[in-house]
Amino acid sequence: MNRYVIIGNGVAGVTAAQSIVRAQPGADLHIYAAEPYPYYRRPQLPDYIAGIVAEAAIFYRPPEWYEQQGIHVHLNAPVVELDPSAYRLRLAGGTSVPYDRLLLATGGLAWVPPIEGADQRGVFTLRTLDDARAIRQFAQFVRQGVVIGGGLLGLETARALRALNLEVTVLEFAPYLMPRQLDREGAAVLEGLLRQMGIQAVTGAVSEAILGDGSVRAVRLKDGREFPADLVVCSTGIRSEVTLARQAGLTVARGVVVDEHLQTSAPDVYAAGDVAEAGGIVYGIVPAAIEQARAAATNMVTPGSITYSGTLPVTTLKVVGAELTSLGECVAEGDDLLQLRRADLQNGRYRKLALRDGRIVGAILLNEREHISPIRQLMESGTDVSAWADLLMEENPDWNRIR
Amino acid sequence: MEKWECMVCGYIYDPAQGDPSRGIPPGTPFEDLPEDWTCPDCGATKDMFEKV
Ligand SMILES: Cc1cc2nc3c(=O)[nH]c(=O)nc-3n(C[C@H](O)[C@H](O)[C@H](O)COP(=O)(O)OP(=O)(O)OC[C@H]3O[C@@H](n4cnc5c(N)ncnc54)[C@H](O)[C@@H]3O)c2cc1C
Ligand SMILES: [Zn+2]
Repeated sequence: MNRYVIIGNGVAGVTAAQSIVRAQPGADLHIYAAEPYPYYRRPQLPDYIAGIVAEAAIFYRPPEWYEQQGIHVHLNAPVVELDPSAYRLRLAGGTSVPYDRLLLATGGLAWVPPIEGADQRGVFTLRTLDDARAIRQFAQFVRQGVVIGGGLLGLETARALRALNLEVTVLEFAPYLMPRQLDREGAAVLEGLLRQMGIQAVTGAVSEAILGDGSVRAVRLKDGREFPADLVVCSTGIRSEVTLARQAGLTVARGVVVDEHLQTSAPDVYAAGDVAEAGGIVYGIVPAAIEQARAAATNMVTPGSITYSGTLPVTTLKVVGAELTSLGECVAEGDDLLQLRRADLQNGRYRKLALRDGRIVGAILLNEREHISPIRQLMESGTDVSAWADLLMEENPDWNRIR
Repeated sequence: MEKWECMVCGYIYDPAQGDPSRGIPPGTPFEDLPEDWTCPDCGATKDMFEKV
C-alpha cells in the first residue's frame, strides 16, 4: 500500500488529504505541519484581529475529526530535509519519515523588502495565527497604526486595526489603490470609503525607513514625509516557501515548478497551493490552491490521470466591506475603447464600463451588486449597447430595455 | 432551508437571501445553485461548502 505524505496543513494540504482518503478510503496518509494548530481559515485572520470572529471560530474542524477521516496530522512537526532519491524526509527532531508519494504544500511567507528599521518592536507581518495574535495583543496598548502596502491584504489589515480604534494610515507605493482591479477614478471612490471608516490612504508613497530606538516610532517616506506609528504592519507581498524544495534540489523559479500533473522535477513529488508555480504562475489565492490540491491528490493516487490547466482569476473581491467586481478589460486604456464612468462618492459606488465597437468588453463595479449579473450577461452575449449609453450610466438602469 | 458554510473563509450561503450578485434569487436552495457557482467572498468552489 502506498504511503502518502503531505507537508503543510494549509488549505492545499488539507484539501489534498481529503481528496486522497475519499479516493482511497483507509489510505496510509500523514500530514506534517510546522504550525501548532489544526487547519484554520487564513482569510479570516483580519476578522479575528478585529474581534469580529472568535479564535475558536476560525478552525475548520476539531483535531479529532482528522483522525476520524483517517488523516494523521502531526502538528508542531516542521520538515527540515527532503531527499527525493531516497524517498525520505527528516523532521526537526531528527526522525526520518519514508513516503511513496509526497505533496509539498508549504504555502507562502510574508515578504518584506529591505526597509531600514524593520526589525524593531512593533513591526509585524500577517500570515499566521501567531502573527494575528501578536498584532491583536500589541494593538490593545497603542494608538497609531501604519500599514505598508495597500493591496487587498493591507486594506483588510487596516480595517482590522481601525476596528480596534487605532488611527490608521495605509502607505501604498503605486499611484493609486489596487491598480490591477481599479482605475484611478474607482480608486478615488475606494479611498473615500476608507476615509469614511477613518482610514487614511496615502498613494505614491515609497516607504524608506522605519524609525525608532528599538521600538517603532514612525515611518519615513523617500520624499521625507514622516508618519507617526506605534505599530506597523508590512503587507508588501507573499513569496512561496521554497526552502525545502531548494534544499532537495527541485526545480524552483518563483515557486516550485510543476508540470500539468502538478508533479515537481522529482518523481512522485507533487506541489500545490502558494508554493507551486504552475504554467509560470504562482496564484497565491484559495481557489487555485484547492483546484491544484485536488488535481495533485488525484494524480498521487493514480499518476497522470488529471491535468491542471490553470485557475480563472476571481472577479469579485470583498475590500473593507465593499464588493468590487472587475471583469474583462477592466483597466485597459486605448483609443478604441469608449469608457463610461459613474462615480457616487456619497454612497461609495462606482461603475465603469469599457466599450469596443459598441460592446461591453470590460467593467469595474464597486458596490454595484445588483448590476453585476445583467452587465455580465451583456458582455457575454456581445450585445451592441451603443444606443444605450445614457441608460448604462443611470443609477438604476432598467436592464430589460436593452434587448 | 439549510444554510451552507464556506470551509475556506466562513461565508455562509443563506437560501433566504440567495446571491443577487450572480443573479441567484432569494429562495434558491444551495443544491440548486449552478455547479460553477463560487463563494462570493473567496472564490471557493461549491464542493468546499458544508451544511451548517
Ligand atoms: C490574512 C490573509 C487573508 C487572505 N485572504 C484571502 C482571500 O480572501 N481569498 C483568497 O483567495 N486568498 C486569501 N489569502 C491567501 C490564502 O490564504 C492562500 O492562498 C492560501 O492560504 C494558500 O494555501 P496553502 O495551503 O498553499 O498555504 P498556507 O495556507 O500558507 O499553508 C502552508 C502551511 O505549510 C506549513 N509549512 C511550511 N513549511 C513547512 C515545513 N517545512 N514543514 C511543515 N510544514 C510547513 C506552514 O506553516 C503553513 O501552515 C489570504 C491570506 C492571508 C494571510
Ligand atoms: Zn469562501
